[in-house]
Amino acid sequence: MTGYELVRRPSRQSVAIAAAAGSFVVVASIPGGPTPTLLALAGVVALLAGVWRGRHDVVDGGALVAFAGVVAAALSGAGAMPVVFGSVAAVVAWDSGSNSISLSEQVGRGADTGRVEVLHALVGGAVGLVGGGLAFVLFQVGPTRQPVTTLFVLLLAAAVLVVALNR
Amino acid sequence: MSDFDPAGADNEADTTATGRRADATATDGGTDTTTAEPAGGAAGAQADSQTPSGQEREPATASSGDYPVASRDGDDESESSEERSSETTVRSVTTRQTNRWVGVAGLSFLTGGLGVATSTRPLLLAAVVGVTYLAYANVSSAPSPSLSVTRQVSDSMPEPGDDVTVTVTVTNAGEQSIPDLRVVEQVPDALSVVEGPARAATALRPGATMTFSYTVTARRGEFDLDGLTAIVRNASGSEEREYDVRTEPTTLTCVPPVDATDAVPLHALTSPYTGRVATDTTGSGVEFASVREYQHGDPLSRLDWNRYARDGSLATMEFREERMATVVLLVDLRPAAYVQSGEDGPSAVERSIDATHRVFNSLLDTGDRVGIAALSEADIWLPPGSGPTHRAEARHLLATHPALSATPPAERVYVRPALRLLAGRLPDDAQIVFCSPMADSAAAYVARRLHVRGHPVTIVSPDPTRRDTVGRTLASVERSNRLSDLRASGLRVIDWTGEESLFEALERARRRWSA
Repeated sequence: MTGYELVRRPSRQSVAIAAAAGSFVVVASIPGGPTPTLLALAGVVALLAGVWRGRHDVVDGGALVAFAGVVAAALSGAGAMPVVFGSVAAVVAWDSGSNSISLSEQVGRGADTGRVEVLHALVGGAVGLVGGGLAFVLFQVGPTRQPVTTLFVLLLAAAVLVVALNR
Repeated sequence: MSDFDPAGADNEADTTATGRRADATATDGGTDTTTAEPAGGAAGAQADSQTPSGQEREPATASSGDYPVASRDGDDESESSEERSSETTVRSVTTRQTNRWVGVAGLSFLTGGLGVATSTRPLLLAAVVGVTYLAYANVSSAPSPSLSVTRQVSDSMPEPGDDVTVTVTVTNAGEQSIPDLRVVEQVPDALSVVEGPARAATALRPGATMTFSYTVTARRGEFDLDGLTAIVRNASGSEEREYDVRTEPTTLTCVPPVDATDAVPLHALTSPYTGRVATDTTGSGVEFASVREYQHGDPLSRLDWNRYARDGSLATMEFREERMATVVLLVDLRPAAYVQSGEDGPSAVERSIDATHRVFNSLLDTGDRVGIAALSEADIWLPPGSGPTHRAEARHLLATHPALSATPPAERVYVRPALRLLAGRLPDDAQIVFCSPMADSAAAYVARRLHVRGHPVTIVSPDPTRRDTVGRTLASVERSNRLSDLRASGLRVIDWTGEESLFEALERARRRWSA
């Protein structure tokens, strides 16, 4: 029986959205030198390939490598601004990529999903930028210079609180 | 907030479910499933403002052409002008945690730890970003939307093979906006979607509308487009709810055109009424039979005047009488008859029904009395009759009866009780045209039984077999042996192969019988 065949892979548009976010990851890791940049680039390329093929695992792995590029940049002395920005971009790239795969699995490639995907990426980006921006401001203007361990414990406490409040 | 508009009072068995809520409580764990429970006793008139139930009893506006194709808008003003929101019921709700942010949480702590270990403050900030996303994933849950769904079909009464465009409009009738809505139309199995996915995804603000359309190829039958799966997610995608929604049905009725075939050869068992089947009884008619001695009262028109001129003796000419036949078309709808040759192409049942349809019309055209019966779970019986009303009844029955659908029945059909029931109904002078692929011996048994009960049987058998593998060849040989046996028992068998038309098959059979 001839009929419409559902293609369960994301469209070009989805790849473009992930690519836009991914390019920021690469740009953000440039201050760390060539190695972090190449690492981020490799990760983003893998992520995009994963989106195109509709593979969740490849997207996850690619995003991990891209984020590792950002971490490497931070370790090689990149400033707080590019690192925060790069982390947000890495999360948005991964988020929009895996979201578009789940969309394509449920509604297929032929449906026009641009609107919901762009919205998803924008909201995700905004959340990250607000959170990262707030942290950055506190980091810059904070009155005391606490030891990092204290900060980490505070961070952990915040995370636990968030999870606990929702249950 | 009631999720999805309450059930309409006209939904059979759902009348008490007015105001049914789709409450899915999200609790811990990876995947929890909650089923919508009808809120007890909400019997009164539904107080839903945008459901004037008298108004939208016409969901299928059957005008053709001018529908927007796949236009999608989330945010314009057209939504309020549409009063025709439909009534929807939630059949089930499934709430799932997608757990997609778990990795991010782990990664952010790893990053934070690395920041501590190496005393790198930017990494700690990156961890703050991760925790922010964790909060983003956790604070919101998937919305419980109130959707109203309308469907428009380009043609609600298509002919088989016509393409029908279905335009689905989904409106967010609730107060909450839906950041991520995915809808999947539940297209009936028998209809195949030929264009556009019957699916869509968008984000809907309160009052906003989404439209998408798809095209199906109509097949014989009556189809209700009344199901929709809606999947909503929260903005972060951490939780997802799947709703199985029943909407007001839009019915697609596809009745084949009145198609007849050439005159069907029949057995000589006839009724006492004048018709077209030439019998061995003599009397008035067209075909000359014999001459006999004049008896008082014979009509003058039948006197053999030539003979009278020759020797002055009176003789009466006899003609073969033409009588009307009573025919009952018996369709084989047992699961065993749902066979088809190869992967695609019509099933044998589909061809049987087509044959029934054509034979019915041609017999009716030639003035015979025709009825319809079936070997099926459901009781299908149209007593022999004639006339335009009878034709319309049969046409509707053959097109839309659920037991005549293209999908096999779930239960097996017991042949003996069915035969007993049929034998009680058949008029004494009825002959049978049995449409069956003869795929098993039970079909042959039915044909024989009817034949020995004095109802001559003509078998119209669509051939579903192929000979491309050993197993198929075996089945094919078995079937042709079965047909030969039946022929040997005095039944007429029309073996209708897939390549030829029914007309050709009938013609071939007629030549053999008249010879």
